[in-house]
Amino acid sequence: MIKIVGKDALETWVDEVIARMRTYGVQAKGDHFSFESLRRAADLRLDYDVTILPPKKYLQPPRETLLRFSGAVEYESVFDEDPFVIFGIHPYDLEAILQMDAIFEKDQRDEHYLRRRSKAVLVACDVETVSENVFAGCMGTAYLESGFDILITKIDGGDYVVDIQTDAGRSIADSLKSAKDANKKALAARREVWNKNKARLRRHKLEVPLEELPALLEAGYEHPIWEERAQRCYSCGSCNLVCPTCYCFDVRDDVGWDLKHGVRARVWDGCLLAGFAEVAGGHNFRRNRADRYRHRYYRKGKYLPEMIGKTACVGCGRCITACTAKIANPVEVYNALLEEKDDH
Amino acid sequence: MSKPKVAIFDFACCEGCQLQIVNMEEEILDLLELVEPVEWREAMSDKSENYDIAIVEGAITRPEDEERLKKIRERAKVLIALGACATHGGINKLKNNFPEGEPERYVYGDAAGMPHLASGRVKAVDEVVPVDVKVFGCPIDNREFAAIVKSLVMGQKPFIPNYSVCVECKMKGNVCRYEYGEICLGPVIRAGCDARCPSKGAACYGCRGFVDDPNVNAAFDVMEKYGKTVEDLRSKLELFGSGQEYSDGKNG
Ligand code: SF4
Ligand code: SF4
Ligand code: SF4
Ligand code: SF4
Ligand code: SF4
Repeated sequence: MIKIVGKDALETWVDEVIARMRTYGVQAKGDHFSFESLRRAADLRLDYDVTILPPKKYLQPPRETLLRFSGAVEYESVFDEDPFVIFGIHPYDLEAILQMDAIFEKDQRDEHYLRRRSKAVLVACDVETVSENVFAGCMGTAYLESGFDILITKIDGGDYVVDIQTDAGRSIADSLKSAKDANKKALAARREVWNKNKARLRRHKLEVPLEELPALLEAGYEHPIWEERAQRCYSCGSCNLVCPTCYCFDVRDDVGWDLKHGVRARVWDGCLLAGFAEVAGGHNFRRNRADRYRHRYYRKGKYLPEMIGKTACVGCGRCITACTAKIANPVEVYNALLEEKDDH
Repeated sequence: MSKPKVAIFDFACCEGCQLQIVNMEEEILDLLELVEPVEWREAMSDKSENYDIAIVEGAITRPEDEERLKKIRERAKVLIALGACATHGGINKLKNNFPEGEPERYVYGDAAGMPHLASGRVKAVDEVVPVDVKVFGCPIDNREFAAIVKSLVMGQKPFIPNYSVCVECKMKGNVCRYEYGEICLGPVIRAGCDARCPSKGAACYGCRGFVDDPNVNAAFDVMEKYGKTVEDLRSKLELFGSGQEYSDGKNG
């Protein structure tokens, strides 16, 4: 069902959801925006540009307890299965979650992620304000017509089109159910928002057609750009940690004072970090800074597309902002590979 | 298994790191279930000749301190350097940037020549004797200290991050200080403090010291992007970085 509501009715509905469920939503945090616990609808800022961290922090938390142990062999797995709602996910971040779903379902299913995910209701919203570095328009993620439970789009005139697509979405629709259905005009207005966003979410312009990216990378393994840029790379991992499609983690034990009971947790990790590729015995197969730098672009543009059929950069632009050395812009890197090729 | 005997010694420092241990409050009782303190000036009057773990706080500034430290090393199975003063020389090392005697004259004036004020170049503990474990920070983080002690008692290698403060800073969802035009040392400094300073809205000044292979040259390159000079960065690096070595960033 697709409804149309004014701002007041929208807020009434959001407050209803808050009253009965664990709810997160985008809010102002100083002069930036952040997904935080939502206490009242009036705090929700659907007009935000981009959040500091993507909503993955609720699906794969920075630090997540996997199990509690009580000795060398006895343990009990820990799962988080308390339902929750996230309000205000931009389409590019939604696409990233859909990719995480595919990855965590593949081969060895990740029960910790999947069980939590199965209880999450995702309320997306179309972009109102263009952020400093977004390029979702080049990545096919400026808008999505499905994949969310509910999608909110502010249309010309100030009303909101609310598209409720799944059972999970319907289960929290409450007072929305009695709202007016969106008419043709409203749907056309929404289409207009989509088209506009596709054109304007291009702060950086990718010159490479997405389907050619894997081949371009394949050919560019020895390109001088990797070494050049790695010279200025701190290996600080910021580009990984803020990325909605980076999901690598490290596993650590935290033992209690009795040296027997404790928890095993996984914490965010990143392929740019010096210790990342270190395996047992201290051997590190990507010890070199340039190898690690290059790896990230291969992951996004080649390895993951080969694995799940999608480019694993959704164009959120967060890595561009986060990199203090100003070398992490995927568009610059991919375009540079193309230029070199044309020169030959 | 008998409890490992622990002795704590202090050299040139403010003893703020020992205070962090005292500040563990109820957990200190748990700690005492694991180890037996045999010498600790700040908390007990006993002295001992025999211990498994020596915890050394403070920087080394006088020849007699070097002798004392060497004796401690001989008697300890494991030697822990506690806090920035011990691991890197800490802010004490600022002194090494001046001609010998000048800091004393500046601070003490006419009294600078008094024998009890005599001290030389500042050294970190590992410039005098081998160190087994370093607990970084000014002051140390007592949760990290607790985890290190537990690991040692279990005979395991303690987990000490070799990634930058940015990792913890990002995990906490902070806005980067560079977005406000500030120089933050986070990208080259070892994490483990839970990004204490950026989380409170202040740039990291590097109290935990560099990561193993910091790309400090990149930092110099990057300064102009922020309208800063190499000198701006140098002065930031000085507080805790004096005398620390770093690579040219070409490897690792
Ligand atoms: S690589 Fe950068 S722009 Fe692409 S999804 Fe990750 S953080 Fe966003
Ligand atoms: S954020 Fe920039 S400096 Fe840090 S690891 Fe990524 S590319 Fe390197
Ligand atoms: S490291 Fe800092 S807190 Fe610890 S003793 Fe030295 S000056 Fe004091
Ligand atoms: S504020 Fe400092 S520690 Fe935090 S991300 Fe920025 S540079 Fe790194
Ligand atoms: S943020 Fe930097 S200066 Fe502050 S405690 Fe951590 S390492 Fe020390």
